[in-house]
Amino acid sequence: MLARLENVTKRYVKTEGVRDLSLDFPAGEIVGVLGLNGSGKSTLLKLLAGLLFPTSGTVSAFGRPPRAVRGRLVFLGETDALWSWMTPADACRFMEGLYADFDVARFHELLEVLEVPRRKTKTMSKGERGRLRLAMALARSAKLFLLDEPLAGIDLISREKIMRSLVHEWHTDETILLSTHEVAEAEGLFERVVYLREGRLALDARAEALRAGGKGVVETFKEVLA
Amino acid sequence: MRRFLTLLWLEHRRNWAWAVSLLGSLAFWAWGIQQVRVTILAHQLGIRVWLLAIAAAIGAVVLCLMVGRIRSETRHGQYELLLLTPPSGYAHVGARYVYAVGVAFAYYIAIGFLSWWIFALAGIHFDARTLAELILALPFYAMSVSVLPLLAWTILLMVFVSAYRVSGPGWVPGTVMALGTPFAVRWLARGMFHIAYRLPGWRLLVDVPAAFPEWTGPLRAESVFQFDPAAYQGFPLEPMLILLALTAVLLLVAGRIWQEVEA
Repeated sequence: MLARLENVTKRYVKTEGVRDLSLDFPAGEIVGVLGLNGSGKSTLLKLLAGLLFPTSGTVSAFGRPPRAVRGRLVFLGETDALWSWMTPADACRFMEGLYADFDVARFHELLEVLEVPRRKTKTMSKGERGRLRLAMALARSAKLFLLDEPLAGIDLISREKIMRSLVHEWHTDETILLSTHEVAEAEGLFERVVYLREGRLALDARAEALRAGGKGVVETFKEVLA
Repeated sequence: MRRFLTLLWLEHRRNWAWAVSLLGSLAFWAWGIQQVRVTILAHQLGIRVWLLAIAAAIGAVVLCLMVGRIRSETRHGQYELLLLTPPSGYAHVGARYVYAVGVAFAYYIAIGFLSWWIFALAGIHFDARTLAELILALPFYAMSVSVLPLLAWTILLMVFVSAYRVSGPGWVPGTVMALGTPFAVRWLARGMFHIAYRLPGWRLLVDVPAAFPEWTGPLRAESVFQFDPAAYQGFPLEPMLILLALTAVLLLVAGRIWQEVEA
């Protein structure tokens, strides 16, 4: 199992992120993590990335605590977290210097495919910065990708480029967990869908099974989370 | 090593504007020193040395502000990016500290040069050994008992506050730590006063007063310094050694807490 949560609860100062959540993520899946705002999607992905520690329960990635294997997984948060002085060349130096699995040639290919301008991030649009961050993430040869709202606040053209890159760059031994509000756009991408409601698991289903049952991911989203 | 060098590069890119501004500010202080025009030479020297002391103190504050910008990185998400990188918390804290110390050394050695210039303006010229002590050894000693532990303390404070921000009220431990610091400093100072000079002192600048007799005028060296070379014990080594050890401990604790930080 690539990643696992066992009876995980995460409490913040005044709220609860997830409650008693148990999930397994084997290798080679693209999993949609869906839910309304505050449903625990980001908490789930951050727990798997090792950015948060569970209040109770156990989280593991590659059989170890996620913080111990952070060099082997990719997390792309929803925060626009690049330094304003950074250019794509700086981003390349940063990633190449810190991650052994960063592929420089792949990064430059992705910059071309995603049409990322070669200038400082402070002069880029939000979509351009989002595409740069995605290029940084996808240029790594990791097995577990945790993508938290990579499409949020990004224009339609950029969203399409990002989706195309995700499909094109995915290898069958990699697992991608993708949380998004753009359910309709990403529907075709998912093999498995995890629906969260108020920090609890509402439904864990194969996308194919949902379609075979006459309801797509979007319809089920509305039904389960309404 | 490559990762640590990358973190140092990152520190440089993050902070170069601060570093350049700090080092550039010395031009302002040099200009200010030159503007001091008092007829009594001893007063002139005293005012200029005070200006330099103010520059040194302001430099320490700026350096602390530079390394303490973890909070803004927490808010803007860059901290999250750093926490996800493979280097350990010790490497992150170490790189942040090493870069700040590098800037601090450049700054305080430059202040050492300015102090040499101030004495030269007063017609006091030192031999090569005294000059080296003024420019290198004195800044090192002064930094060891002030700026080096202060920078480590600032990093620890900021990491401490950030570490417990998400799942708990991070400001509580931060406030306790900040409020407790004056008491800790007083206790430390008292302890060091008691043990000072158990080791032989570091006889720095012992030849400085000897340079003064060449200074002719209404105030001769004997009236400026009540100095007996035989009784001079030098600078106590104990505070330097204790504070350097404390600095190492503070950095180790900060590195360990970094591993606990949530984002």
